Amino acid sequence: RRVHGIIKTQMESIALAIHGGAGVITQAKFTPEMDKIYKNELELALKAGYEILIKGGSAMNAVEASVRYLEDCPLFNAGKGAVFSAEGENELDASIMEGHTLRAGAIAAVTTIKNPITTARAVMEKSEHVMLIGQGAEEFSKKMGLEQVDPSYYYTEERYQEFLEAKKEDEKKGKKFGTVGAVALDKFGHIAAATSTGGMTNKKFGRVGGVPIIGAGTYANSLCGISCTGHGEFFIRAAVAHDIAAIMEYKKVSLDEAAKEVIHKKMIELGGEGGIIAVDNTGNISLVLNTEGMYRGFVKGDGKYYTSIFKDKQHNSI
Amino acid sequence: FNDTATTEIYTRSLVGSVRCVQETGVHGDWIYILMDSFALVIHGGAGVIGKGEFTPEMDKLYKQELEAALKAGYEVLIKGGTSLDAVEASVRSLEDCPLFNAGKGAVFTAEGKNELDASIMEGHTLRAGSVAGVTTIKNPISAARAVMEKSEHVMLVGKGAEEFSKKVGLVQVDPAYFYTEARYKGYLKVKEDEESKVAKCGTVGAVALDKFCNIAAATSTGGMTFKKYGRVGDTPIIGAGTYANKLCGISCTGHGEYFIRASVAHDIASIMEYKKVSLEEAAKEVVHKKLVALGGEGGIIAVDKAGNISLEFNSEGMYRGFVKSDGKFHTSIFKEEQHFIIMISLILLPVSYTHLMLQTSDL
Repeated sequence: RRVHGIIKTQMESIALAIHGGAGVITQAKFTPEMDKIYKNELELALKAGYEILIKGGSAMNAVEASVRYLEDCPLFNAGKGAVFSAEGENELDASIMEGHTLRAGAIAAVTTIKNPITTARAVMEKSEHVMLIGQGAEEFSKKMGLEQVDPSYYYTEERYQEFLEAKKEDEKKGKKFGTVGAVALDKFGHIAAATSTGGMTNKKFGRVGGVPIIGAGTYANSLCGISCTGHGEFFIRAAVAHDIAAIMEYKKVSLDEAAKEVIHKKMIELGGEGGIIAVDNTGNISLVLNTEGMYRGFVKGDGKYYTSIFKDKQHNSI
Repeated sequence: FNDTATTEIYTRSLVGSVRCVQETGVHGDWIYILMDSFALVIHGGAGVIGKGEFTPEMDKLYKQELEAALKAGYEVLIKGGTSLDAVEASVRSLEDCPLFNAGKGAVFTAEGKNELDASIMEGHTLRAGSVAGVTTIKNPISAARAVMEKSEHVMLVGKGAEEFSKKVGLVQVDPAYFYTEARYKGYLKVKEDEESKVAKCGTVGAVALDKFCNIAAATSTGGMTFKKYGRVGDTPIIGAGTYANKLCGISCTGHGEYFIRASVAHDIASIMEYKKVSLEEAAKEVVHKKLVALGGEGGIIAVDKAGNISLEFNSEGMYRGFVKSDGKFHTSIFKEEQHFIIMISLILLPVSYTHLMLQTSDL
């Protein structure tokens, strides 16, 4: 597996991994019903991307499809179900990257776009830019004919309750994060990565985390693709997504080794909680976390869906 | 070693792996090594400077302003100040100067407004701060620093960033403050004809190594002329336009989109660390190979923990300058004026160097 591109299996060499957020999931509070519901949603998100890959579709289309599914699902902190800012509003961020061309697109602090990941893709494909923020990004999204919603669209009771609690306690309880993402390898050997979020509960001052930052929350090149989730500030400071790609390429180690060095060593030293999903150009998948849990799943050419939430059930380095 | 000449060479290379060595010599049984105790590099933007259009008066004017910005940072370093204070001081000087596309003198967006971005990073702690899309902050780099030091966050955008900046007591200005005739004319030209040749980009930045061996990097900009839709370039993106760690610090300028896609600042740091090559090699690989292959125009300034500096660009010119412990200011604009990296100083200044005395018999 550590030898790049020489061994090709008989199965389709496609791969897709997704995540629905790391951190702030305690096994104690997780009922069997919740377990079932979340895993079901993760499988459906995987299915959305897998159906594209198995029909010979692009990694870009696959990651967009999976992330759109997770954005539309109210359980995850992206799109519908996004957390609330200090003003009781939803401000969303997303980014996407196409590995073999290094094309990328990102938006931040948008409030009326139904699927931020699709707008991020539009920035990449239909503008000369890489990153658009705020009202300007919303204007662009409208101009591209993408679906706009009333800001109240994202509301869920659960997230609103979390927000009210956070407002009461403010700094005392742990900050609430959460993100969704996907990475994929298609039949053409191309890689894509995508990440989307509602940001941090009770965030103030137009805070932007790692998600829309190319190199921090998302990165992809011809060798590998990475999507991150966790305490965004640390992911920016350590340029996590790009660092994993750089360690793999320059130190000539496996994807999993690179991911573990960053998440289990560097991030822990820095104090940053979170995890990543990653895929390389031979179909190896890596799902590494330093938190109690990370909603995640993957599927390969054989079509078998694997989903996990907590650490003990971790499948990594496949 | 039995002879002082060999010992001198050996010691010099030992020390040279830790600090830039200015000079070595022998005095009786003693070898002395004169090290650079600090270094400061600045830039005022790369690309879109046509040498043909550049008059000697302009040359003098720009170099003067670059020297003034160097001086601001140098004064901090020579008094034993931190690299963070130095880069902030130099960048503030460039922001306040109307000639450069940062702070006053920023370019205009498609709506005829000024929207500024900035970021700063402290290498030895990996702390970082950045602001984007701000319109009423006099010195965006100071706001970026405040985000780093006075908030739990790394990046704040738009009105939220402005609110925060007000809250921490930074100088606010009327949006009209940033206006300059030259930039407005440039804006009108592009408005008329989007293909017109006008200085579209431009940025300012600084990197420094201080006496504590700590590195800092800072970048600030008005962005791209006639930018639309809240476009953000590489300047406020940690890892793209700015990066610093214990090994080196980088600040970039050029066509922002390419710097984001190639994570230029972090890539240079990664190549240096993981491939175990010099700062110079790493910078050249990214600027002259990878960026050129991608089609990205621009340049970088960088410093490493030994005091080696790098100023690389693949455009026709890049406003730049540097100063080291010897206090000699160097400024350049176009390619041929590029100075060599290692400097040998024959002038001994009493305050700015460190003597390392080793007795040959001990070795």
